[in-house]
Amino acid sequence: MSKSTRQQFADTMLALSHEDKDIVVMVGDIGHGMFKPFAEVYPNRYYNIGILEPTMISMGAGLAASGLCPVIHTIAPFMIERAFEQIKLDFCYHKLPGNIVTVGSAFDYSNLGCTHHCYGDFALLKTLPSTEICFPASPIEFDQLFRQSYQNTQLTIYRIAGTSHGVNFNPEDIIFGKGICVHEGDDVTLVATGPHLKTVLTAKNALISKGVNAEVIYIHTIRPLDVELIRASVEKTRKVVVVEEHMRSGGLGDDVLRVTYDIPGLKFHSVSIPDIFVTEYGTYEELCESVGLTPQALLLSINDWFES
Amino acid sequence: MIDNKILNKELRKKVVDMVIAGKDGHIPSAFSIIDIITLLYRDVLKFDASNPGWLDRDYFILSKGHGCLALYVNLHQHGFISDRDIDFFCKKGGILGEHPDRTKVPGAEASTGSLGHGLSFAVGIALGLKIQEQNNRIFVLLGDGECQEGTVWEAANVARNRNLGNLCAIIDWNQSAMQLMPVDDMPKKWAAFGWHVLVVDGHNESELSNAISSIEYKKDNIPTVIVAKTIKGKGVPMLEGHGIWHHRIPNEQEYSQIMEALS
Repeated sequence: MSKSTRQQFADTMLALSHEDKDIVVMVGDIGHGMFKPFAEVYPNRYYNIGILEPTMISMGAGLAASGLCPVIHTIAPFMIERAFEQIKLDFCYHKLPGNIVTVGSAFDYSNLGCTHHCYGDFALLKTLPSTEICFPASPIEFDQLFRQSYQNTQLTIYRIAGTSHGVNFNPEDIIFGKGICVHEGDDVTLVATGPHLKTVLTAKNALISKGVNAEVIYIHTIRPLDVELIRASVEKTRKVVVVEEHMRSGGLGDDVLRVTYDIPGLKFHSVSIPDIFVTEYGTYEELCESVGLTPQALLLSINDWFES
Repeated sequence: MIDNKILNKELRKKVVDMVIAGKDGHIPSAFSIIDIITLLYRDVLKFDASNPGWLDRDYFILSKGHGCLALYVNLHQHGFISDRDIDFFCKKGGILGEHPDRTKVPGAEASTGSLGHGLSFAVGIALGLKIQEQNNRIFVLLGDGECQEGTVWEAANVARNRNLGNLCAIIDWNQSAMQLMPVDDMPKKWAAFGWHVLVVDGHNESELSNAISSIEYKKDNIPTVIVAKTIKGKGVPMLEGHGIWHHRIPNEQEYSQIMEALS
């Protein structure tokens, strides 16, 4: 069984901490087993703080103010939504650096219901002027993105995907702030983030059978966004679909539209979570199907773009 | 040395002048804590005004940010900020607003104003310095109304359970909170969270001084809270209490009355 992205998070922390004595990991009563090796080696740099996310965020900012490098980890809605003001004021307004690593974004914890869902996090975090946001959906992505950005001068949020897209990137191809052109094409640009690279690649193959050659762009860094790569592709194809497990409002789709709206003849479509509470139960895959995050739904949505 | 009581009267006058010039500010909130902050900067805190980020400094965090005029006049008194900074309070081009901004004001350790952040932030600093085996002390001043915020008690819980003996919280217990929630035994609340609790008259220099100097500030000890019984608007009878003066600018006649009371 291949390693999960979340396990890679713990492994990367341990590996980096051998070299960097400033790293301090705080968790909100999750991930104890995963971080046991770290806690055993560095007991004074690992803290299971408890179930108090707002204070954990403020404490992280305090650690940064004291000269350390905080890495704060818990479930996305409790950290990004509940503790949003602490992120806004204690990190961003203070201009303090730090790292927030979330799990349970979108509806990864599908059966736990809306209390444990978080599909508006990109939108919220983008209101904060100095945040960086990435969405690693494979272990090597997390490792590379974290190593490249964790020591920067602002707050960086790593939204760990619960499911991998299954594509094995070369480490040298993963550059923070840069998208990846996974497949070149001329007829339509398919932009994916997170696990839905898999969805887009399936759709791309189906389009080839219809004579449509889609360009596939993978975005692991939501901010700063690789505007050049996206714009260059869409200037070529004049058609773009963005696929993401985020609410339609404020997601990657909005950003892509903002940087391409003036391209003559532009056709745009967003395959994303509607602006609703997802109240159904079932597996992650079943909820994806329910909200239309599937290759079939993607293909259907752009069917009339290629009718002769 | 200038007598502290005289100094505090002069600093109170400066607060009022800033409010008149800036046409904004919370005078009674500043007067409630100005004796505490003045003592801290005069006798307690280690700092270097020419190098506010000096690594060996003690930290002072004003969590009840709306009392910032008391902080500003002390930062000015000790050379952190200039006459111009004072003159430009609440004016375009100035660095001093109605809440302190850490990124602008030398010596301000935290940008506060939204209540319930300062203690949690201070706990992070205290933990960070403990991890780094540093001996700095961390003081954080909270309002009693602010203690209605849940995050205060989240942080109190962590500070005790992590034995952050390098941390001292001071509560401005001027009974603002009791206007809404009369059942408010502040010392018992902190004792229930396992803190070492000292209760003093927050306008009595020797009581405050003795309390602050009695703390050991050991890194691996229980944290201390000084519950300082204070009077909102202390020093000018017409400003004292919880009435209309919370966020009011004195008119010319009222200004004269206030200055007369402080003379």
